[in-house]
Amino acid sequence: MSRSVAPGRPLLRPRPSGRLGRDSWWAWVFLAPTLLGLAVLSAGPILASFAISLTDWDLLSPPEFVGLGNFGSLLSDPRFLVALRNTAFYTVTSVPLGLILGLGLALALDQRIRGIAIIRTAYFLPVVTSTTAIALVWLWIYSPQGGVLNNALGVFGISPQKWVSDPVFAMPAIVLMSVWQGLGTTVIIFLAGLQGIPQEFYDAASVDGAGRWARFRSVTLPLLTPTIFFTGILAFIDAFQVFDQVYVMARPGEPTKSTITLVYFIYEAGFDHFKMGLAAAASWILFLIVAVMTILYFRSQRRWVHYQ
Amino acid sequence: MDVAALRVRAVPGRRARRIRRAVLVTLLIAGGVLMMLPFLWMVLTSLKTRSEVFGGAPLSLPSGPHFENYVTMWNALPGVTFGTFFINSLKLAALNTAGQLLSCSMAAFAFATLPFRAKGTLFGLILATLIIPFQVVLVPNFVLYRLLPHPTSESGNWIGTQEPLWVASFLGGAFGIFLLRQFFLAIPRELGEAARVDGANPWQIYRHIYLPLSKPALATLGIFTFMWTWNDLIDPLIYLRQLDQYTTTVGLAFFQGQFVGKWPEMMAGALVSLAPMIILFVAAQQLFVRGIALSGLKG
Repeated sequence: MSRSVAPGRPLLRPRPSGRLGRDSWWAWVFLAPTLLGLAVLSAGPILASFAISLTDWDLLSPPEFVGLGNFGSLLSDPRFLVALRNTAFYTVTSVPLGLILGLGLALALDQRIRGIAIIRTAYFLPVVTSTTAIALVWLWIYSPQGGVLNNALGVFGISPQKWVSDPVFAMPAIVLMSVWQGLGTTVIIFLAGLQGIPQEFYDAASVDGAGRWARFRSVTLPLLTPTIFFTGILAFIDAFQVFDQVYVMARPGEPTKSTITLVYFIYEAGFDHFKMGLAAAASWILFLIVAVMTILYFRSQRRWVHYQ
Repeated sequence: MDVAALRVRAVPGRRARRIRRAVLVTLLIAGGVLMMLPFLWMVLTSLKTRSEVFGGAPLSLPSGPHFENYVTMWNALPGVTFGTFFINSLKLAALNTAGQLLSCSMAAFAFATLPFRAKGTLFGLILATLIIPFQVVLVPNFVLYRLLPHPTSESGNWIGTQEPLWVASFLGGAFGIFLLRQFFLAIPRELGEAARVDGANPWQIYRHIYLPLSKPALATLGIFTFMWTWNDLIDPLIYLRQLDQYTTTVGLAFFQGQFVGKWPEMMAGALVSLAPMIILFVAAQQLFVRGIALSGLKG
């Protein structure tokens, strides 16, 4: 052990970040399950998924290599394009709506008022409930026969609609339900973000004569941009994978076409029709879209995200 | 109350602020009630008769608590009760929770305290799996489970068994590793070093120092894993083939196909399947809130 050599210079090796075990084989013992999982359930399958996407395979007969044929047929398949469009619609509506509502609510809930905890619970509760059960409840709310929404709108003289089975209203109806369910998550994250803003910043702004709006514009919003950024990416990735509510709400109805999404398409192709190659190709398109959008989004952060 | 005196004494703007606050609280309560309406609607419907559901005013009270809807729902399917689904969900949630707690805490311990090569790269790789949509591995994982032999299944492989729904949880997970690593890093290293000097090996340090000190973080991971498993739909949908293996979510979805228009029974089923999560949430709201805040704040 010659640890005292060359004062002022780093030791031969920089101090390892952990030194509880001198033998690194211990680390591999602890990591073994995770490494196995990474290889067998993540990294390996991602590559396998691409390989499968190049084949025509129904699981019964051996896979047949078709090159990029699956990608070609997907991009000319009207059903896939509808799924793509619906997913895009769902994402560009539910994500901004959720962020804006969530931020507003977090600002409103960020107070010291007696009983605020109970009010918060009301907003948080939908988050933990299963989308399957909740979608059933909303299907009933939207129901053309006896549904509460048509009844309520009838009071204002609005004629009953078919909501979920109407091609125009189906996606917005699913978006509304999802925003309701996901709101609590965004609020919780924003509340934590708000509590991380030091009071001195507000005090300093007040001393400079900033009013409520000015304080929001020049203190809260800029300091919250990292939170907004991160919540945005989580919500985006989540939205692109929407499935449960579509499965419950769209499947029994006739015009499933107006609400199918990418993941529903993948599920249907792979596990209803057993077209494994097609399903894998569709999942790779999903992956590529999410990856490209995530990279672009990260690139954009220099322009609008302020780190303290 | 002497309003005039109050007005004189009040700092300008104070009264306005109080009014604004009252308006805000009223709005927040109204919004909260609006958020709760679907739940209320579900409970009310589950206690009504079918004719009441289609007849009366939307939020009218049931003519009496028609608990028979719950009984009908419970015994609605041939050969199994809803209790079977419930037990399946509980079993899978418990197995997944155990698997995640064990495997994630082990990996997190290595990342937080032990030296090894390519640590940064490996951690980055694990974090990257967070942004990979899991649907990408849906098909290959199905293919993999189809290759694994199973002694008791009809297909001879893992398809049609519950195994694909829990075994993977014993092989780590990005969220849990990240969460626990953060927590472990905050534990003073001297504790472990002292034990090391006394001859403890890393496993003993992990087992007797790090785990006991990390109960809040473990509870957070546990509760989230439980929730994710309990609420999962697509995996049970893909892998389960027989009614008696179904979880509450697939059970409900199956129900839906069988009970078109039988809303009271369906709402009773939905409520029963939600009940454990609602109870868990009310009992441990702080854990949920902290977990969600953590997962959002520290990317």
